[in-house]
Amino acid sequence: MQRPPAVLVQGLEKTYPGGTRAIDGIDFTVEQGEFFGFLGPNGAGKTTTIKILATLLSKSGGHVEVAGIDIDQDARAVRSSIGVALQEVGLDDLSKGRDFLVLQGRLYGVGRAEANRRADELLELVGLSGVGKRKIGSYSGGMRRRIDLAGALMHRPNILFLDEPTSGLDPQSRLAIWEHLEQLNAQGVTVMLTTQHMDEADRLCRRLAIIDHGRLVAEGSPGALKAAVGGDVVRVSFGPMDSPDGRADIALGTLRRLPAVQEADTTPDGLTATVDDGGAAAPAILRALNDAEIPVANLAVTRPSLDDVFLHHTGREIRESDADEDAESRVWGQWMGVNRR
Amino acid sequence: MLILRESSYIYVRNLRTWLAQPTMIVAAVLSSAVMYLFFGEPLRGITGLPGFPAADYQAFLTAMVIVMAVVFSGSDMAMVLLTDIMSGYVDKLLLSPVNRFSILLGTLAIGATRAIAQVVAIILVATAIGVRFEGGVAGILAVIAATTLLGVAMGCVGLIIAVRTRSVQVTVNSWLLFMPLAFLTSAFMPRDLITGWFQFAVGLNPIEYILVAVRTVIIDGWVWEHIVPGFWVLLGTSAVLIGLATYEYRRATN
Ligand SMILES: Nc1ncnc2c1ncn2[C@@H]1O[C@H](COP(=O)(O)OP(=O)(O)OP(=O)(O)O)[C@@H](O)[C@H]1O
Ligand SMILES: [Mg+2]
Repeated sequence: MQRPPAVLVQGLEKTYPGGTRAIDGIDFTVEQGEFFGFLGPNGAGKTTTIKILATLLSKSGGHVEVAGIDIDQDARAVRSSIGVALQEVGLDDLSKGRDFLVLQGRLYGVGRAEANRRADELLELVGLSGVGKRKIGSYSGGMRRRIDLAGALMHRPNILFLDEPTSGLDPQSRLAIWEHLEQLNAQGVTVMLTTQHMDEADRLCRRLAIIDHGRLVAEGSPGALKAAVGGDVVRVSFGPMDSPDGRADIALGTLRRLPAVQEADTTPDGLTATVDDGGAAAPAILRALNDAEIPVANLAVTRPSLDDVFLHHTGREIRESDADEDAESRVWGQWMGVNRR
Repeated sequence: MLILRESSYIYVRNLRTWLAQPTMIVAAVLSSAVMYLFFGEPLRGITGLPGFPAADYQAFLTAMVIVMAVVFSGSDMAMVLLTDIMSGYVDKLLLSPVNRFSILLGTLAIGATRAIAQVVAIILVATAIGVRFEGGVAGILAVIAATTLLGVAMGCVGLIIAVRTRSVQVTVNSWLLFMPLAFLTSAFMPRDLITGWFQFAVGLNPIEYILVAVRTVIIDGWVWEHIVPGFWVLLGTSAVLIGLATYEYRRATN
């Protein structure tokens, strides 16, 4: 029997009561055991999607299955099989860290002894063992995110939805969390995470989708997405020259005539060229510059980064932030009636 | 039953949250003591008025102190609930597979607990200053039971305010809404001695009937004709408010 995908999304749409069309018909599938990245600029619709998958928010249209269960049929069964850490952590400030975790486990049906054991284990994991008896209200921003994440792991879910799980964390915590997520994934846990950090996506995710304005604009493995953006970039910096005037333009002309070079441009200390295959093009570029008697101090080949992929698909314009919105009304908007499931 | 088990988790958490705010508890007890002091002493002479039903004004006031404390706890409950909503903790609960109803039950049960704690504290204070309970031990238990139900009903009002208004501003000031409920009553003066529009308004206030019943049990004992109307009004009001709160809650979480 074929295992159902961990997440199946078909024609998903979401229009908020105010009229904002946050999700404009998206389709994607996350197979069981996958590590799936969901990227997009601010306001693209990542959080909205995660909340719908987690059954916290109602959708306006489309079909969604999580763990093989239609979320409209049995939301409760879906909730049992997933762990969720939202972008805006929902914590109980008056509760002690450890109590919060134990309760979280109990709410998911974990037995008392096991919940206590697991709480200690997770406190250790997220580096909060020392403050488990302190009230969450006294935690720093990073500590809050970590205890929230630990809460999502209490019942050992098979599917994890993590909305920017490492934002605001220091490099140590981030690394520890990455390693744990990799470990969980190696044990077969499906992870879908959103992130603004391309290095995080690059390291963790075996498949990515990029969403912008509520639509998927790209999907594939990090390698394939990078390859699709275009070739490698060769950066050359010039050595000292007797008469530098005009030499850069001459070099540029030389390079542009090379068949391997797709595109070339000057930089303050040299030039860059976009090529299909950096390894093959580099010698030809060096030779051409040598023939033109232009000294080369340094040459480096870089493959496109995920940042390049991201910018290529979503453009460079900065998205309006939600920061200026009244925080209170926003929370309420999310919580209120019609809007919820 | 699973729902009861789940509710008990939520309840214990709410209880902890409440106990973690000792100021709230102290304020509740203190305000009751202060009411005795402020209203009891200066108005003591009222008992001399012809037609006044009690010889001991402190005893007369006890019902008012109890009912007011419980009525105003509705405003507290609204604030507590709103805090959980604003912090995203309610979302956290809703993300879990726990039955929606368990969350509601665990929340209303804390309204009951608070009412019991407050009433017991007030009865202790009253006993300490020499108030005699004519209804006896059964009367005290009946008063506790009635005000517990009233606490749940007021918790429902708090829930409706929090869920409906969506605003800290409104919720913080929602005690204003409870003012007429608490003061448009014969709290200080028997209804026969009140005149004009005030008397009319008092007649419309359900809390008045509950207050009269509680007061009767305290100062006269089991005089059924004054207790029965309050009993029914309490039952009816609670049923309506619990129904409304459940409806609002379902609307907001479903
Ligand atoms: N409760 C709400 N009511 C109305 N509009 C909303 C609400 N929440 C989000 N939106 C809008 O929906 C769109 C998508 O928002 P969403 O939070 O899903 O973006 P995101 O991709 O998570 O962004 P970010 O990277 O900033 O977290 C935005 O235009 C946002 O303003
Ligand atoms: Mg987001």
